[in-house]
Amino acid sequence: MIKIKELSKLFGNKEVLKNLSMEFSKGNVYGIVGENGAGKTTLFRCIAGLESYSGEIISDVMPLKNHLGLLLTEPFFFTMMTGREYIRLLCNARGKTNVDIDNKNIFDLPLEQYASTYSTGMKKKLAITAILLQENEYFILDEPFNGVDIQSNIILTEIILKLKELNKVVIISSHIFSTLSDTCDEIHLLRKGEQIKSVNKTGFKDLEQEMKEITIGNLIKNLELK
Amino acid sequence: MKNYFNLLLVLTNRKIKKAGLNPGLGYLLGLAAFILLAEYLFQKTSFAKYLVILVCLSFQFQLSEKNRTDFLQSTFGDKTKNKIRILENLMVSIPFVSFLLYKGLIIEASILGLCSISFALVSFHAHFNLSIPTPFSKRPFEFSTGFRRTFYLFPMAYALAFIAINVDNFNLGVFSFLLIFLTTLGFYSKPEQEYYVWVHAETPGKFLKNKMLHASKNAAFLTAPILISMLIFYPSEVALILGFFLIGLLFLWTIILAKYSSYPEEMNLPEGMIVAFSLFFPPLLLAVIPFFYLKSVNKLKFLLNDKN
Repeated sequence: MIKIKELSKLFGNKEVLKNLSMEFSKGNVYGIVGENGAGKTTLFRCIAGLESYSGEIISDVMPLKNHLGLLLTEPFFFTMMTGREYIRLLCNARGKTNVDIDNKNIFDLPLEQYASTYSTGMKKKLAITAILLQENEYFILDEPFNGVDIQSNIILTEIILKLKELNKVVIISSHIFSTLSDTCDEIHLLRKGEQIKSVNKTGFKDLEQEMKEITIGNLIKNLELK
Repeated sequence: MKNYFNLLLVLTNRKIKKAGLNPGLGYLLGLAAFILLAEYLFQKTSFAKYLVILVCLSFQFQLSEKNRTDFLQSTFGDKTKNKIRILENLMVSIPFVSFLLYKGLIIEASILGLCSISFALVSFHAHFNLSIPTPFSKRPFEFSTGFRRTFYLFPMAYALAFIAINVDNFNLGVFSFLLIFLTTLGFYSKPEQEYYVWVHAETPGKFLKNKMLHASKNAAFLTAPILISMLIFYPSEVALILGFFLIGLLFLWTIILAKYSSYPEEMNLPEGMIVAFSLFFPPLLLAVIPFFYLKSVNKLKFLLNDKN
């Protein structure tokens, strides 16, 4: 379980997260949606302990960060570090040695090649593999489906459902609504740092429709496409 | 081209200001530190001239990095890129060539000048698609990536040690040994992205101790062939050889701790000056190491979620 109480975050004078309260329970998958700049990544960074904040974030295992698999939107890789070494580094950091990397290379990545030379999708798949092999209890996946090929997206969806089955907490952000509706139990909508609404599975269709209307509005009409 | 160099100047000044110094004073202090260090090297070893050349070439090597030169080429075109690169390398070489000239080493200064121009026309890492094998793959990342960046220096150091023993030149042997330590210090010069610290499920103290332990093991592994050969061929100098080894390790720890004492910022001038003073007076390390250690623990507390 992760409980967020009255979480706020300021960058200078700008309040980027405004009094958020949410709860993430075991065995559930949560989606965080919102436009660019809505505060999704900042929220993830606060939960991970990468940003200071006001309010409270508590979990049943402390410190949360030591049991959290964090997938950043754009994972950073050292030059001249192979895919295998990246996985080893992340596993070693959590005290997991002797991991059978080859058998668990489900995305069939070229592990002896430098990770910095991978394509965007391959980089994301490598980062996902590494946090899965860390055997975490909580997962934050910031845009996991972006840049990843359709076959791997199918695998990734199945992985998320398996994590749910294993009683883990999974929090995902995505700009592709269908990827969230396929996996999530609850979706929180953020706008300009505010928690606009939280809906469960039965309300996903309405939420998608509402987001479409708000986002598109008269924009396409204004284009006067001919 | 003029705008490019103006921009470089602005960026350099910004870095110096970030270190808390007036840019003019920063350049002066940098120059003074360079002269003092070079003079010290010339007093201590007859191989100082090679070291001066090597350091200059290693700076120029970094400027020849492929992505960088590709950017210059796509922005300015081939001809201007070459001009920029030659000017950059010459600017870097000015203090080194001047010092060699001041020491009366005209041939060495001319060679360095010519190398600076030729290096400007080459870009490195261009064809490095294959992964260079490293003995440090099991525990990434500093030594595994650092070894790949500098792999060519290790056979050079071993060859120097071999020559030193053959011509019975103890100082050259020590130099080859220190060359490896100097190279490994460079593996810790830049702070890694915060994710790579955050990901560790350790307290700051444990994190730093592990970093120091693995660095010591890896440095010992790299220096072992020279260390063992020196101990066999110069049994009367055992204390001196082991003393150099110990000092090498202490400097390695100092650099690791200095890096994290300013984390996530890059190591600044004050830390650099403390390390430089320690080079002149190594016993200072006994105070510097605990000082940097405590500072690093404080800097890492937030990222590693240490509430104590």
